[in-house]
Amino acid sequence: MAFVGQKLVKQIQTTGLKATVAQRLDDAFTRFTAGLSWNDVRGVLRGDPPAKPNPRVKPHTEGFWFHIRPTFYHEAVTTLYPTFRLGLLSAVFFTFEIITGIFLMIFYTPSPTYAYGNMLDILTNVPFGKFMRDLHRLGAEGMVIIVTLHMARTFITGSYKKPRQFTWFTGVVLLVVTLFLSFSGYLLPWDQLAFWAVTIGTSMADAVPLVGPEINLLLRGAPDIGAGGLLRFYLFHVVLFPLIGVIFVAVHYYKVVRFGISLPPEMEAIGEDTARKVPPEKRVNFMPDIITNELMYAGVAFAILAISCATWYSAPLEHHADPLVTPNHTVAPWYFYWLQGLLKIPHMIPLLPGGIAGEVDRFFANVFGLTPKVFWGVIVGPLLFLLLFVVPYIDPNPSRRYGDRKVMLSFGAIFAAAIIYLSLAGIPTGVPITGFGYVGGDPASEVGQAFIPDEGVGPVRRLPYSQYVVGNFPINAQPNTGSAGLDRLIREIHDDMEARKARPDPLGKTLSADATGSLEVKQIQSNLRQVIITVNYTDVDGKASQFKKYTFLHADSGYVAE
Amino acid sequence: MSIFKKIVTYRPSFTVRILTGLISMLIMLSVCTFIGLADRTRLNVRAAEFDARAVEAGAKVYFDQCARCHGVKGEGIEGQGPALASEQFVGRIELVRDDMQLQSIKVVVPSERLNQIGWTGSLRDYIIAVTESGIPIKTSNAWDVNHPTFGERFGGPLRGDQIRDVASFIVNYGLDPLPNDQAILPPAPGEGQAARPTPVPLTPAQEAGKALYEAKGCTACHAIRGVGAQGALGPNLTRIGAVAEERIASDHYKANLQGQPPATTAAEYIRQSIIHPNAYIVPECPQGACLANLMPQNYEQQMTPEELNNLVDYLSSLK
Ligand code: HEC
Ligand code: HEC
Ligand code: HEM
Repeated sequence: MAFVGQKLVKQIQTTGLKATVAQRLDDAFTRFTAGLSWNDVRGVLRGDPPAKPNPRVKPHTEGFWFHIRPTFYHEAVTTLYPTFRLGLLSAVFFTFEIITGIFLMIFYTPSPTYAYGNMLDILTNVPFGKFMRDLHRLGAEGMVIIVTLHMARTFITGSYKKPRQFTWFTGVVLLVVTLFLSFSGYLLPWDQLAFWAVTIGTSMADAVPLVGPEINLLLRGAPDIGAGGLLRFYLFHVVLFPLIGVIFVAVHYYKVVRFGISLPPEMEAIGEDTARKVPPEKRVNFMPDIITNELMYAGVAFAILAISCATWYSAPLEHHADPLVTPNHTVAPWYFYWLQGLLKIPHMIPLLPGGIAGEVDRFFANVFGLTPKVFWGVIVGPLLFLLLFVVPYIDPNPSRRYGDRKVMLSFGAIFAAAIIYLSLAGIPTGVPITGFGYVGGDPASEVGQAFIPDEGVGPVRRLPYSQYVVGNFPINAQPNTGSAGLDRLIREIHDDMEARKARPDPLGKTLSADATGSLEVKQIQSNLRQVIITVNYTDVDGKASQFKKYTFLHADSGYVAE
Repeated sequence: MSIFKKIVTYRPSFTVRILTGLISMLIMLSVCTFIGLADRTRLNVRAAEFDARAVEAGAKVYFDQCARCHGVKGEGIEGQGPALASEQFVGRIELVRDDMQLQSIKVVVPSERLNQIGWTGSLRDYIIAVTESGIPIKTSNAWDVNHPTFGERFGGPLRGDQIRDVASFIVNYGLDPLPNDQAILPPAPGEGQAARPTPVPLTPAQEAGKALYEAKGCTACHAIRGVGAQGALGPNLTRIGAVAEERIASDHYKANLQGQPPATTAAEYIRQSIIHPNAYIVPECPQGACLANLMPQNYEQQMTPEELNNLVDYLSSLK
């Protein structure tokens, strides 16, 4: 006691208890911030100018977290342009995903027996569970957008040029990691949407020449996705890809600090890089300016996510995965629509006249064993990424000025336009614009799909239970069921059928002009009804045919809100 | 252009940064508080929604797998399976919600059947157990077959979640059970050894028709008690002779027959059903509404007139 406390006792004796406690606390605080006292931090948050010598430099040399941040930026990169803070926001989203992901991980078991039940539990039994899941899902989709935009901006400002080639390279790795993270997470809820999107995705690996089946087996852990595949995707999602992500963010960011953020192109002489040569009067200190700026952007991003999830956004959860039932119109997640579009390109060389295109296809199929699907989806798709990787190494132009880069910027624009065009071809509703890639079925069955989709809600389920009237009603323009909602639904079906009669689908098929329909509502249990849509039509062979589709609707199932 | 430039070179002042940051924090905190305060109720509402969807999913399983033996209304089918919607089986329940919207099932009248067989668990668990693993021993000769094992673990087609869903569906019958006198009730344990109806002997022509029924693959879709495979895509034909009489007398038949003259006798109806299956679509099949175009439309070409006569003769004898 005497030994340890002597100094303390002396200090209390000379300065009094209160001052001693204050001094000791401030001491601890300073150790914690690696060099800033309580008053220094308050000064930062008040925006005071630094004292001389500047104490705020100390944490940048003493502490880990601040030593990875630069002490100042060039004034020219602290406006919205040129960075738009997209790199910062990518990092913010990445961190955000890790935090919300760990929360979800606590309640999740990667096994087909439990996964879906766990999701239901998260949605119905875990406080903040649905909120966290929505945040995680929206954050993931947001991150894909932000990272892509960040890439677009570094491309447009020419920031990938010497000396930042490798920064760009690691960036593309991060884009791939981001996409794979999203995709591997997609499977985890183990619902129909997830199961079939991932089945389709991994079956593309199957088509890779030579090693395809082995890769597929490695991914799925068995010929089909099951317990093994789910566990693997889980491990990819929570261990492998985050690990690669963290490592590459570190390298990426090291390079950013090392070279400085590139100045707006017009501020530099061509071929020179002056980002690290900042005259003292142009410096904007990290503390207080950059740090408050970054905290503000992070705060706004979080607030937008939180408000979205509390109001309009709700992550979908479809029926339990069922390997035996393929839902109609399964789609990949939207950020892979472009790949789906590529897969749908009908010929090796599109736009050739029909006969020749077919000949070319046959030639490739016979000589190289290549089908258009494999060529476009499995070879060209990944090649596009390869192209991204090598952009800095193949662009010979030393100038970063927009005026000097017309060729490269046009390339970029064409690339972006192609991705958007292919994405449209990837979804059934975009096909009328692109003119290829339609995968819809028979027009009569499309009526059923439009109103009672295999997965998702659709107009029939969205109409509340109480709006249904038991009976069998013909589909016509003036329904009279006694329920306004049901009348509206029947009119909608009527209009849809008339449209399909008048306008051929992209395959040129129409619903036969004599087609009639009916909507039947049956009471199955006291709070459960069955809704059946029947379409009687004449098929292409001139035979009378019938299409039926039904769903069950419970009084409390709450689809209305979705 | 200048507005564009203004946006692009915007640099928020220190005060703006601190204020925006603080406001964002406040928004986030209030969203979290709001969710935290309201979450219990919202969770309970959502739980009830998912319970309701489980009933919907269970209904689909029921019509796909169970209705062929237990009836489309859960009323049971003679010789095939007992009623599952009867008050004797499901008892009577009510759905109640507390003021936090937590929904629970209140048993008003407990299941008499569970009492009878001495099952100590819940009705739901009994349904899950029987559906998953079947009833291992034959308890009564009232039924032609032992219960199929539906659970994946026992080589059946249903996953655990589907079995739980169908159990939710059957339990839900308890809200408005079928009166016992409108249902086929199972015999009490030890009392099921009823004399089985002696089959009416068939004429040689009918025997030939019966052989044809099995040989032409009708069993893939139809079921006749005790004959061949028990298909479930088309109507059960165990009593088709009698059913045909009811059909031709019904308004539904008269209103929906297409392209063929109405049949006047049971045999005519059966003949018409075989050679022109689409002329009249039967309203109820074991899995729900009957589908057109399912039954092959070329039986007339596949059989000699004599064979067809034998088949019709055989089916007409089933009453
Ligand atoms: C092949 C015909 C058949 C099918 C299909 C069938 N069952 Fe059964 N079911 C029976 C028979 C027969 C019994 C009575 C068995 C006995 O008591 O030995 C029975 C009994 C039951 C019982 C117990 C009833 C009681 O009163 O004790 C339940 C519960 C049940 N089935 C549920 C189902 C469910 C759920 C399905 C669909 C997934 C189904 N069954 C499909 C034939 C069938
Ligand atoms: C692929 C499935 C399938 C096959 C095989 C099939 N049917 Fe059918 N059958 C149906 C369906 C579905 C219906 C109900 C729809 C309809 O009326 O067309 C039906 C209806 C019937 C009816 C009318 C039943 C009633 O309750 O009114 C008879 C009789 C019949 N079939 C006999 C036969 C015979 C005999 C064979 C074999 C020669 C056969 N079916 C083969 C599917 C089939
Ligand atoms: C998880 C993904 C990513 C993170 C967290 C990230 C982070 C960052 C950060 C913080 C910066 C500093 C400048 C700024 O804020 O704009 C930056 C710069 C840069 N990033 Fe990324 N980035 C990611 C993905 C990418 C991608 C996909 C690319 C391109 C393919 C890319 C290419 C670059 C380049 C070239 C720079 C240098 C820009 C300059 O100096 O002006 N990054 N990155």
